[in-house]
Amino acid sequence: MELVTANKFSLEQLTHAYNQTRIDYVVPMPMNVSRLREYTRIYNIDMGCSWIAKNGDVLYGLGMLGVRPNRAWITRLGVLPNGRRKGTGHCIMEALLDTAKQQKLNAVWLEVIKGNAPAHKLFSKLGFIETRDLIVARRPPQANEKNIGFNDNIRQVTTLSHEEALILLSHRKNRPNWLNETESFHNVKNLSGLLIELKNGGRGWVTYHAGLLQLTRIIVEVISGDPIEVSSALLSVLHDRHKRQDAITENLFDDEVWEGFQKVGYFESFRRIEMINEI
Amino acid sequence: MKKILQIEDNKANQILVERILSQFNYELMHAPDGETGVQLSIDEKPDLILVDMGLPDVDGQTVVTMLKQIPDLSHVPIVAITAWPEDKAVEIAQRYGCDGCIVKPIDVKTFPSQIEQYLA
Repeated sequence: MELVTANKFSLEQLTHAYNQTRIDYVVPMPMNVSRLREYTRIYNIDMGCSWIAKNGDVLYGLGMLGVRPNRAWITRLGVLPNGRRKGTGHCIMEALLDTAKQQKLNAVWLEVIKGNAPAHKLFSKLGFIETRDLIVARRPPQANEKNIGFNDNIRQVTTLSHEEALILLSHRKNRPNWLNETESFHNVKNLSGLLIELKNGGRGWVTYHAGLLQLTRIIVEVISGDPIEVSSALLSVLHDRHKRQDAITENLFDDEVWEGFQKVGYFESFRRIEMINEI
Repeated sequence: MKKILQIEDNKANQILVERILSQFNYELMHAPDGETGVQLSIDEKPDLILVDMGLPDVDGQTVVTMLKQIPDLSHVPIVAITAWPEDKAVEIAQRYGCDGCIVKPIDVKTFPSQIEQYLA
């Protein structure tokens, strides 16, 4: 088995290889070339720091490294059926960690889908420790029928521009996960936002990306008041304005704001476990 | 002859479904991604749509959302095909207004009767 950096391969080859690694996953999440291109751009994936394991012309596995100041993120790690039971995953992980060390980065982050025991075991063996659970949630537009109604507790709703949304995102109280770090949002176009004030003094904001079919990149922050009440009021207004779109939100914390999401019709798709290796 | 559209990116799964259903009197169509699937649904107006939940361009839930918003297809049953654990698969299918779900791996013996039931 030999290791080659991912920048020696085309995006078409990488997309095909990645999809092969996920072919029998419970949550397969396949990609096409344009999605992988977007993914690598938004999450600062460095193909020169990412690795492909192969034997001759046969690809065994891949793993990508996102690089930001002082930290890295391992993503899209997977082993193709041909490369299984050969130590491929371990080999790629060691190469990614060595690369992060050579770059003099302080920490390497990753997430593993809850229930993927073999991957969790591999990461633990390599020194990763769990930090928190992250929730991936969905909300179909049909949820509007029963979860959205007139909220007479709202005093004012202010629509925010892309630039205003970025400013708010950079002042969050809790450390966001890599996907939701402010650096990611700086790489996204056309963010929108809403700032809300309730009659009882509750305040908060939501930022999001409104596509034709989907609302994505939804981030809610409660400034004051009851987190469940403020977050559900924010999301009610959001979904009242975007009635036809499906909604996806990734890597929420399991806290009271999540209860607000559930109140307006979001449900948990699956959980990830965030892990860190301080190198 | 009833028309069945299968929206599925995985070639092996596509072939398996085709092999099983080819023994029956159905016209089978296939789309490898969500966009093609929605377009074929509009053009061909199938009698049943089978949607894999993990597609490469846009995921199955969003495909179902799109299909549900097309008035001409409002009467067409949509069945989610997924490898999610059964309880989660049922929840996703119900929340997105699917008419049912079939959990992978497909059971070769029971699959034809499941299809027949959705077409009834």
